[in-house]
Amino acid sequence: MLVITRKKGESLLIGEDIEITVVKVDDGSVKLSINAPKNITILRKELYKEVTEENKNSAVFNSSMLKKIKK
Amino acid sequence: MELNTKYHGVKEYEEKDIIYFKKGLPGFENLSRYILFTVEENEIFSILQSIDDSEIGLVVISPFSVLKDYEFKLDQEKLQQLKVSSPEEVLVLNTVTLGSNAENITTNLKAPIIINIKERLGEQIILDNDKYRIKHPIFKE
Repeated sequence: MLVITRKKGESLLIGEDIEITVVKVDDGSVKLSINAPKNITILRKELYKEVTEENKNSAVFNSSMLKKIKK
Repeated sequence: MELNTKYHGVKEYEEKDIIYFKKGLPGFENLSRYILFTVEENEIFSILQSIDDSEIGLVVISPFSVLKDYEFKLDQEKLQQLKVSSPEEVLVLNTVTLGSNAENITTNLKAPIIINIKERLGEQIILDNDKYRIKHPIFKE
């Protein structure tokens, strides 16, 4: 893993077409601007983790439980 | 072919029934082949059943049966990846999760599963907006 220090206003490049710039640094939080091709998915990691949880939870119940649920 | 699923009995399927998720699904990244069938006892639900792991079958629901005006935009790249040529080919499903009791059943409207029913290709996308909830109650609160 690469660990790199950047100051406000500085950027880094990933490959040829992804650029990440530090826009603001403020008391424990960092604001980034990201320039990347449209086909690259950019997500907050906790959101991906939440979806992972929901997917796993949706795989644990059986037909007899579903039978009882009527809309 | 026959698949003995853990929760939903024995299911018959053919090669042409298989839906391919190239990237798997979040949490099941290594499972790429699925079949889809409705729950016999309760047809508003379907099961997206992995054929690579017979223990994994995700309960899914059509979002439109929960929220009539559910909508999101699929970008051009995604349409191309899924080889979508007309809207009729697109099936949208969302996962269903039980809360502490059956009345607390929710669906994840933030991460629709998109399936091209003609080409048998699927992908789950994550909507990064505040419009829809990860735990949207299926029954009105």
